[in-house]
Amino acid sequence: MNNLGLTTLRNLPRDTRDTLFLLLVITWVALPLVNQVPLWCSLMGAAVVLWRGWLAWRGLPLPRTVWRLGLLALAVAATLLSHRTLLGRDAGVTLVVVLLALKTLELRARRDAFVVFFLSFFLMLTQFFYSQSLLTAAAMLLALWGLLTALVNAHMPVGQPPLWQAARIAGQMTLLGAPIMLVLFLLFPRLAPLWGLPGDAMAGRSGLSSSMTVGNIASLALDSSVAMRVRFDTAPPPSAQMYFRGPVLSHFDGRSWSATPWLEQTFDLTPPQITVQGAPVRYQITLEPNQQPWLLTLDATPQAPQVPGRTPRQTPELQWVLTRPVTELLRYEVQSYTRYQAGIELERSQRQANLTLPFGFNPRTQTWAQQLQASHPEPAARVEAVLAQLRNGGYGYTLEPGVYGRNSADEFWFDRKLGFCEHMAAAFVIVMRASGIPARIVTGYQGGERNTLDGYWTVRQSDAHAWVEVWLSGQGWVRVDPTGAVAPERTGSLLRLQSPQGAVASALLGNVNPQWAFNVRAAWDAVNNRWNQWVLNYTQNRQLDLLKRLGFDAPSWEDLIYVLCGLVVGVSLLGAAWSAWERQQHDPWLRLLSKARLKLTQAGLTVPAQSTPRQLHALLQQQAQAQVQAIASWQAWLLQLEAVRYAAHAPTQRATSRAQVATLASQFQHLAPLRAPSL
Amino acid sequence: MKQGFFSKRFERWLQSRLPFTDHVTLNQRNVYILPTRAGLMLGLTLLVLLVAAINYQLNLGYLLTFLLAGCSLVAMHVAHATLRGLTMHLVAPSPCYYGATAQFVIQLQNHKKSPRHALALRVQDTRQEVQTDVPAQASSSVELAFKPPRRGLQRLPTLSVQTLFPLGTFRVWALWRPAAQVLVYPQPEAHPPPLPSHSADLGGQALATPHHSGEPDGLRPYRRGDNLKTIVWKKAAKTGELISRDQVTLQSHTLWLEPQLTQLAAPEAQLSRLCAWVLRAEQLGLRYGLRIAGQDIAPANGLAHQLRCLQALALA
Repeated sequence: MNNLGLTTLRNLPRDTRDTLFLLLVITWVALPLVNQVPLWCSLMGAAVVLWRGWLAWRGLPLPRTVWRLGLLALAVAATLLSHRTLLGRDAGVTLVVVLLALKTLELRARRDAFVVFFLSFFLMLTQFFYSQSLLTAAAMLLALWGLLTALVNAHMPVGQPPLWQAARIAGQMTLLGAPIMLVLFLLFPRLAPLWGLPGDAMAGRSGLSSSMTVGNIASLALDSSVAMRVRFDTAPPPSAQMYFRGPVLSHFDGRSWSATPWLEQTFDLTPPQITVQGAPVRYQITLEPNQQPWLLTLDATPQAPQVPGRTPRQTPELQWVLTRPVTELLRYEVQSYTRYQAGIELERSQRQANLTLPFGFNPRTQTWAQQLQASHPEPAARVEAVLAQLRNGGYGYTLEPGVYGRNSADEFWFDRKLGFCEHMAAAFVIVMRASGIPARIVTGYQGGERNTLDGYWTVRQSDAHAWVEVWLSGQGWVRVDPTGAVAPERTGSLLRLQSPQGAVASALLGNVNPQWAFNVRAAWDAVNNRWNQWVLNYTQNRQLDLLKRLGFDAPSWEDLIYVLCGLVVGVSLLGAAWSAWERQQHDPWLRLLSKARLKLTQAGLTVPAQSTPRQLHALLQQQAQAQVQAIASWQAWLLQLEAVRYAAHAPTQRATSRAQVATLASQFQHLAPLRAPSL
Repeated sequence: MKQGFFSKRFERWLQSRLPFTDHVTLNQRNVYILPTRAGLMLGLTLLVLLVAAINYQLNLGYLLTFLLAGCSLVAMHVAHATLRGLTMHLVAPSPCYYGATAQFVIQLQNHKKSPRHALALRVQDTRQEVQTDVPAQASSSVELAFKPPRRGLQRLPTLSVQTLFPLGTFRVWALWRPAAQVLVYPQPEAHPPPLPSHSADLGGQALATPHHSGEPDGLRPYRRGDNLKTIVWKKAAKTGELISRDQVTLQSHTLWLEPQLTQLAAPEAQLSRLCAWVLRAEQLGLRYGLRIAGQDIAPANGLAHQLRCLQALALA
């Protein structure tokens, strides 16, 4: 059965085979985008490609223009409906996918085929908006190979060459193109974006957020993708103290928490007061692009992290931010102190902001807070009392607490008693503020996982966490982690949240040795990290480093261009030299013969292109009217030339023959010049 | 319009640089290369990809753009190497009649260790092209045809060999002016009047009538003394008997063919009729002579004689 299928495939007419192959390649290019484009787009694309495949298989004619135009109009309308625009990144990707599928219905002329290829190249690039992982790169390399194979195959019109032949040629071209790619990649100056990006350019990616509504972090906790990698230059702090600070949420409107608006922070230039103790922890963070301006650092970081080419700024809430979002892999050096005091003196406005609660929410929590205030007049004791309540009140940690209603803190404290870090942090802050203690939510990442292969710590999105800072007089802002009170293993231990594996993953990995699985994952992470460090994080700084290593003192990006131009000129010169060498006649004997032909032509004789010495001899014989001597010497010389090559005792030793040719060459210089025969 | 004019001028200039030769080896100097429209589109695509990579700060986008650029650059060299070093040899064309197509064979030799793909040979200024591959270190031959523009001895038109291989982004081509000449006979008149029944030398004798043997199709059993040429070998092979074609045998009579006998005024029409007559006379096995433009070809018959007559007509 299988054999039969293969034979059928091999016996397909050329047109059908080529079309099916191209459809296959296009499908491979577009497949990873299924998650990114609207459902209708995937369905329509798949339907059109299947339809086209069916037409090719049965050798049926292509649909008429009316059909294509109708489908096109439908696609544009649907794009407009789902994206509200035709411009911008996501709408563009959707349109290109549909256009590519529709264009396959129109593979008539050579030009149509080219349009398909160029659209595919675009589509390959759009993959990188969503993922630049090693796997994506490998998939797209395969896609490029497939596209080039189809293109080469389309330019082998004679007969029915097997596809592997085109694939081999395409593969060779890709391999030969790779060094060019490498040089350009290393030396092409990395420019800043040429113009502003449309609004949705960076939207729709997971990560920490500047606002928090119930359930937001739950979805993060299930995401095991890497948020950042950390390399500690000094001894790393204990895992329980690894709090990477992200956005601080201090505004509460009853439903959601949000960070201090950007503008307010911008105008507040007073540096936060931090006093530190002990030795600093020095480390380097490679932050995955998160489309946010935050630099995650360990608490607390008084000095600015060293970010190449950028100047980070610290907010009064101790968070480090950049002026532009992190759109590419970013590496920076930080020095932090895990023992610190911050914000000993709290400004009035700040104090007020961190005490505010919206009116009319969580009445039961408010009442409880007032009771606490009465029973524990000391703020620190009040904090302890609430933590004790969390520990002993039957509260539980779960990733699926269900949907909370309007008074989420009331529900948490008195009814459900279930939640994860954000529920606990939010409920904790509300009770603190209600009892008169300034408090705020801090989000970020907690902990990480050390890769035993390369020593890097990997912090994943599942390590996202929310904790609380309360302000105590004399101590400043103090970190309190209510989640730790309920589920101590959530923080500080090696046990990480296990995201539920997909059906395939559990079938594949479910029964394997956990240690082995851990090792595989560690190795994979290490490879990925290399990829990040060497490819994705290759920035202008590293380009300039490269130049420094090449011997430039103070390289600038202009030097990159000089080096690039120098290389181009050098390679061109080499190419020119090679072609000059190739053009030359390498055999000295043949070279001498062609010189003789040239001389005789200049003397006005009609010399056939491939004439032998004997033929030249005969040609001179016909001329023998005047210049008898000159002609005789020429003829003698030509006969000698012939003898060197064709003498009866030849082949003699190469060396003697070469010497004879050299002698002849010098004799040639002294031959009497032949004048053009007078008319 | 204007561009067409200039490119035509350019082509003509390119052609005028070429030597006439029947044996050409393509090299750096006579192989031309220019990007095609698709190549320019690819360039534009690369530019857009680069801008996207810059604007979205995608290092993988840079990699893709540069790899594609590298491949195109390699493709350019592959395209040029497809023609460079190719040796072409023209097999001398055989004469033909005016109005028919002249066919000639070109042998392509590949000394490279890899095959040359998708070579398209074409007579310059015509649309029809012949595509062929030349395997590694082998040769292949291609038959081209063209309609000679006039009668007489003439050069073959300029030929072009072109390839779009491997990506269609570059057109690589070479022009070649063959030195060989083709002899074009006049176009034989389609329905010529019968051979002139009497001319001066015939002395008023009528053409002999064929033998009447009762066979309707002019065939009869072999008789001793029949010329071997008259035997219908096909029939003989089928039936096992020797069958002869009945023919006018007028060995004793001599036919002179002259322009005046055609009773036509236009010189070309005269030649055309004479050509038809020569063919007819040879077919009938007559002895015939030709007298044109002061050139006398003594009466004879046979293929060599026919060839001489036709050559004379072609060059008249």
